[in-house]
Amino acid sequence: MMCEDCGIRPAKFHLMTIINGDRVERNLCPTCMARHQKQIPGIDFSNLAGILNSILENKSDAREQVRSDAEYEGLVCEQCGMTYAEFQKCGMLGCAACYQAFKTPMSALLQRVHGNTQHAGRVPGGAHNGTSIRMNIDRLRQKLQKAIDDEEYEQAAKLRDTIRALTAQLERRESDIKVRPQERIASEDERGGEADV
Amino acid sequence: MYEYVLAPDQDVVISSRVRLSRNYEDLPFSPKLTREYAEEVIERTADAVFKTANGAAFTLLRMEELEEDARSRLVEHHLISYDLLKYVNRSAAMVSSAGTVTVMLNEEDHVRFQGLLPGLQLERSAEMALKLDEALGQRYPFAFDHQWGFLTACPANTGTGMRASVILHLPALSTGGQMGAVMQTVAKLGLTIRGLYGEGSEAQGHLYQLSNQATLGRSEEDVIRALSAATSQIVEHERGMREAAEKKDMLQLQDRLMRSWGELMYARLMSAKEFMNRYSDIRYAAAMGYLHAPLPGLDTLMMDVQPGSLGVRAGKLISPREGEILRAKILREELQDLVAE
Repeated sequence: MMCEDCGIRPAKFHLMTIINGDRVERNLCPTCMARHQKQIPGIDFSNLAGILNSILENKSDAREQVRSDAEYEGLVCEQCGMTYAEFQKCGMLGCAACYQAFKTPMSALLQRVHGNTQHAGRVPGGAHNGTSIRMNIDRLRQKLQKAIDDEEYEQAAKLRDTIRALTAQLERRESDIKVRPQERIASEDERGGEADV
Repeated sequence: MYEYVLAPDQDVVISSRVRLSRNYEDLPFSPKLTREYAEEVIERTADAVFKTANGAAFTLLRMEELEEDARSRLVEHHLISYDLLKYVNRSAAMVSSAGTVTVMLNEEDHVRFQGLLPGLQLERSAEMALKLDEALGQRYPFAFDHQWGFLTACPANTGTGMRASVILHLPALSTGGQMGAVMQTVAKLGLTIRGLYGEGSEAQGHLYQLSNQATLGRSEEDVIRALSAATSQIVEHERGMREAAEKKDMLQLQDRLMRSWGELMYARLMSAKEFMNRYSDIRYAAAMGYLHAPLPGLDTLMMDVQPGSLGVRAGKLISPREGEILRAKILREELQDLVAE
């Protein structure tokens, strides 16, 4: 079957559009299909379900966010004076201490944005993977000890689970590094064999 | 004689870039950054960078001291981000003589280290940026948390603070209507792809930027590895589409691409937008071996005839029409030297 638009190339796509309630169906080649898609920017018919899903998800997300964010609007960073409401408006934090001042909503926000809340990369000065996780585990172990001493068993159980998860993450990382030794590229100086861009 | 080095996968990958965002622990972040503090950021960083082993290769450029065209030229050559110009009265950049390492100061974050190399060289670009980061991190405390990693002004960069990206030339995938599928696939890998120039779905010159989305929860090496692997796959796919187009009707493909060469050689007025389409065609033709032109030379020329760079070259403020005339003239002259038919 030939493309119904250009008549030159074989048709590979069946495109359906609904314009003012009228259904138009066409068999198109990739080139003509691309042109049609361009005329309707932002809509990819092959993934309509996915798009609808993401819209719905965003809606319920947004509603939940509005509810919870209202609770935190009054939070203030003592270091720089930024309020959580101010942060929501400009999208940027006022200083390093803001992260602790807004800890609860920030943790939720980071989880939403990155799908994770545990750093797994380098630490300042260039130390390598795992250092950060290890230090976090040490910190949590101290907290766990304190929770046990204070007989706060529910809190202790939560901490124990977190420590287990982090330890597993660390072990996975280390075995991964053993299997695939990190490729350290010879650290030459910048002048050593660089082409200009 | 035009001498040049062909970087890995340069037929499809124009360049690889890695940016690291850092903030000094004791200074307020962007929204609360006064001129005084901004000056402190510049002084600290400049002092530390100049003292590194290769420090002498860097030049400090304060944005407010540059003409508008000179600033645009830096953006067009990917040495600084467009966002740095949002803060002209306080921002600065340190640029290495080879143009491969840049330090941006007082953009959204206090310091952004950038490594930029032609072709697919993400590991090496990351290495260059991380080396500077290590040197500075040993001298001054960066804002850092053991759970959340490097703390940045915008939580979207928290963690490694690393944004790695490649610029891809994808004429065959674009005209073959495959970009929708590519976009869906990379999204599943935690990557994002968008047109480099132009807005919405239109990517001028068929140039795209592929980069990592999340910065928290994965190590720098993991992210670089994933991005490199995805890039290699797209490169293979693009090459496959190019070969298929050639197999289908080589003469038609050559005819279409080489007509752009003709237009570039004889046009007297050339708009930036039209140029991007012609450039895409001759780059494609060069990669297929129809036109004997060095790819790095074409890419440099592409950046040199963008509006700001043209203004710097003219040495004065030029009107859009003067720009079109000058662009056409430079292209005629330089392509003559660059291309052997």
